[in-house]
Amino acid sequence: MFSKKKIIIFIILAFFVLILDFWIFNTLKTDFIKTVEEMYETNAQSIADGAPRNPEDVQNWINNLQLQEGNSVLYIVGSPFSVKDLYSISENERLTEYFNKNKESPEFLDAMESSAYGEKYILSDSVKIDNNKKMIIFVPVTDPEWWETVGTLLISFDQKPINDFTDLLNVFAIAIFSLFVIVYFFGKFTRDPVTNYLIIIIFVIIGIFIAFPLYQAVKLTFLENGSFSLDLWVKILTKGQYLEALWGSVKLGLITATCSTLIGYLFAFSVTRMRLKGKKFFSIMATLPIISPPFSLTLSIILLFGNNGLITKQLLNISDSISIYGLGGLVVVQTMGMFPIAFLTLSGVLESIDSTLEDAALNLRASKWQTFRTVTLPLSIPGIASSWLLVFTTSLADFANPLMLAGKYKVLSVEAYMEVTGLNRLNYGAALSLLLLVPTATAFLLQRYWVNKKSYVTITGKPSARLTELTNKPTKAFLITAMVLVTVFLISLYGTIIAGCFVKNWGIDYSFTLENWPEALSRGKDAIFDTLTLAAIATPIAGILSMLVAFIVVRKKFIGKRLLEIGVMIPFAVPGTMIGISYILAFNTPPILLVGTASIIIINYIVRELPVGVEGGIAVLKQMDPAIEEAAQDLGAGPGRIFRTILLPLIRPAFISSLSYTFVRSMTAVSAVIFLISANWYHMTVLIYNFSENLRFGLASVLSTTLIIIVLAVFGLMRLLLPKNDLLTKTITK
Amino acid sequence: MAVNSLPVTLKNITKIFIDPHSKSRVVAVDDISIRINAGELVTLLGPSGCGKTTTLRMVAGFELPTKGKIFVGDNEITMLLPNQRDTAMVFQSYGLFPHMTVAQNVGYGLKIRKIPKNQINKKVNEILDLVGLSDLGDRPPARLSGGQQQRVALARALIVEPSVLLLDEPLSNLDALLREQMRIEIRRIQKSLGITAIYVTHDRIEAMSLSDRIIVMNKGKIAQVGSPSEIYINPASEFVAGFIGKATFFPVKIDSVELGVARVFLDDKEIRIKRGAKETEGSETGRILTRPESLKLVEKGTGQITGTVKYNVYLGNTVESYIQTKFGELMAQIDNPAINKIYDEGKQVDIEIKPEISKLFASE
Repeated sequence: MFSKKKIIIFIILAFFVLILDFWIFNTLKTDFIKTVEEMYETNAQSIADGAPRNPEDVQNWINNLQLQEGNSVLYIVGSPFSVKDLYSISENERLTEYFNKNKESPEFLDAMESSAYGEKYILSDSVKIDNNKKMIIFVPVTDPEWWETVGTLLISFDQKPINDFTDLLNVFAIAIFSLFVIVYFFGKFTRDPVTNYLIIIIFVIIGIFIAFPLYQAVKLTFLENGSFSLDLWVKILTKGQYLEALWGSVKLGLITATCSTLIGYLFAFSVTRMRLKGKKFFSIMATLPIISPPFSLTLSIILLFGNNGLITKQLLNISDSISIYGLGGLVVVQTMGMFPIAFLTLSGVLESIDSTLEDAALNLRASKWQTFRTVTLPLSIPGIASSWLLVFTTSLADFANPLMLAGKYKVLSVEAYMEVTGLNRLNYGAALSLLLLVPTATAFLLQRYWVNKKSYVTITGKPSARLTELTNKPTKAFLITAMVLVTVFLISLYGTIIAGCFVKNWGIDYSFTLENWPEALSRGKDAIFDTLTLAAIATPIAGILSMLVAFIVVRKKFIGKRLLEIGVMIPFAVPGTMIGISYILAFNTPPILLVGTASIIIINYIVRELPVGVEGGIAVLKQMDPAIEEAAQDLGAGPGRIFRTILLPLIRPAFISSLSYTFVRSMTAVSAVIFLISANWYHMTVLIYNFSENLRFGLASVLSTTLIIIVLAVFGLMRLLLPKNDLLTKTITK
Repeated sequence: MAVNSLPVTLKNITKIFIDPHSKSRVVAVDDISIRINAGELVTLLGPSGCGKTTTLRMVAGFELPTKGKIFVGDNEITMLLPNQRDTAMVFQSYGLFPHMTVAQNVGYGLKIRKIPKNQINKKVNEILDLVGLSDLGDRPPARLSGGQQQRVALARALIVEPSVLLLDEPLSNLDALLREQMRIEIRRIQKSLGITAIYVTHDRIEAMSLSDRIIVMNKGKIAQVGSPSEIYINPASEFVAGFIGKATFFPVKIDSVELGVARVFLDDKEIRIKRGAKETEGSETGRILTRPESLKLVEKGTGQITGTVKYNVYLGNTVESYIQTKFGELMAQIDNPAINKIYDEGKQVDIEIKPEISKLFASE
């Protein structure tokens, strides 16, 4: 592998490529500089042509001169032959200062001599004025009648555009050379170059689109006027306003997590451990909110309980004394939206508790209640902790609901947004979202690495078909009533949105109308189209990428694997607000200028949805017998072929659900996207928000309903595409 | 089918794994050299963790040796990727592609080699005939029995006409009866094609019944190389003796070694033994390896060891008689129980060691 001959060839080739690379880019650079200099010269000449010949007019002319930013002019009055008599006029003091300091220098004398003969002169080196590099050109001002030089212009041109461009060229030159070295090196000196390229590409993606923006955001919070400072943090951590927001977020999280887990457990227990008709219906109702777009529940809560709400104003007329805006309303909306997370986690756990265990307890003469308390409940405690932490994280990171419903109640995600968009203080926004990261990341890590390890579920094994009824009649009646109440509430919330589409002016005029539809759809047409396009582009990329990442994480050994896993998973734990802020920070300057383009939104989608796809892929791949891929490789298939002919068909279920998940999540994104949209690329959810902020509830309802329809359609399509054939899943497992 | 079988040579192969948890180095294969001749079936036999599967996977290309070189014929293949090698493997778990039919599974390797479709079909039919699955080509593998799946895996490996066939415990997932059948089947096909084959197993019966030669491995090293009978009758070490069959050892004093015959004393009973005598020259003590069939039960007072019959296990063609002695419990095998005498449980007997099928080892 590392034979001497190969290494020598590699070094020689690298050397030649380096020279070639250097030569090409140097030529490009010189060419570019020459062109710019010529442009500047022409520019200078035209300025000189317009300059007055009479010294008395100079001041006036200079004052009125329109120049590009960074460029300035100094008029040296008098014939350049008599250097002693010269004096200068300029609007730029620094330039005057610079001229007075250097006017006796040999190069200036040369320049003046050229001017005397009517020739331009460019200083060979660029000069630093005002902390910026400038190019200096001397241009004679000649009297057209006598062909005599009556003055000289000293024009300083800003070199920043040139420098920016040459910097970019340098970056390209280095990138191309390193690309060559990497490709050649891995191609010649490693066994499996394709996988290695893939690993490098993934690392580059993580580096540029995850690590770099987050680093930029963190860095910004420690900078004050370009140097290190803790001022910002001192301000944030001592000001009541921000600490209040932190506590507000945490308090909301605590209450929502507790309520959601309670309701989730209620549903999960009823559906998995009770004989009950309509289980499927309750399961669907308890999962539905998870895919419902942001703002939809908030919107209907406002329609029902807001200042002009149907219930609070029209039915009870208590809207003056009770306000839905604030903690109470947030808890209701978040609980309705997030208890499905708890439900899904807990029903998974409860389902896998073997009924035999309960039978054993009953057989030992425990009562039903004792059995529940001593067997079922303890076994589900890891699940309860896990779902509580999951909801807690989700609640803290939630942005859409508080944005519309927080009122005077302060939460960090919205405060961060306000700092950025309202006060244009990116550093405050970044710091606040970092502050938010502390509790979310803690809860996330706890859930991941502590609670999950305590789970008993894997020990107890497969779900059993048999069920032992643990509830007596009154308890059962109570549980069912509770479920029905929650379900009815949920249905009425969704019903309200649909009703909102057909009402003229909610809160004032409840007459039926169809007018909302054409108006909302024509005003939202572009946003709908943008959202669909962006999601449609992001989805396949995220899908394939996540399967590739899952594949190399599960099947390949390489240095830095742990780092890669962590890098990919970071966007899972980081609130969207933080990602949004760090993206506008990182990508609004060259070399990667993306702000305002579609690509920044697409990349953001991909990066944010990658973790879920990767997790799904990993789960499936870990179940798969490695011998299947090894057999394919043994028979001569390369990595690309294995991926295409073996892996993709086998992980199709995970792949398809990852696709639909990414699509739906992209369609319904708010927290990060709201920072990244532009006039060219708008997002439906933001438009819904704008409509509701302007009290155009009818339009908001129509767009929400449209979004819900799209989301449901996608999930329906996914169900159709998923193979019902479980023969497959049975045989690929070890 | 024509197979271009080639010899396989492993030169000073070492494989060191880094344990992912403790970060310590584990020497899985320790400087072994093997030559397998063209057309030969060689078994790597050993307890789990002895490095046999790692060795096989290095030949297949799934693992890279830390040191050493591997050749197929004259070509070095040490660093080649599995898909660049002319080897084909039959996996312990078969690794059949569940989303393809039997015929698609078998034809996969040919498709990759860009063989025209009609030729693939022809060859697939041929090879399915050879393994006796002619009419199951359209089934998905999940609808086959374990033995049939095994045959598909074998057919899929053979169809690409590899220079070397690698088999990684291919029969361990089958029940006993099927295993016996498949053993014969594999041997038949291997011989009829004359293909070089390396077979990994921990089952000594499998190894002995299949192999031209057996390589016994222990703790990453080669313990012995030889034909099945060599290894059974003349094991190189007590480990090999114990691994290849049931073995009982008796401590003896070595009195003298003359003309290739050792005179040893078990307690005060004299035994003259040839096998292993030379190697023990100069040692004062040693151990005699016996097999159940080299222990003969005789009337009290006429053998070398005294004991009591604990219980007899009747197996039809033989009886296993378990005897309690001062050396511990041991088992003597009595062939033809209808003819030979069986001693009742509780009865005192003597045991006579037959030196012709025993071997002397020097104490370590």
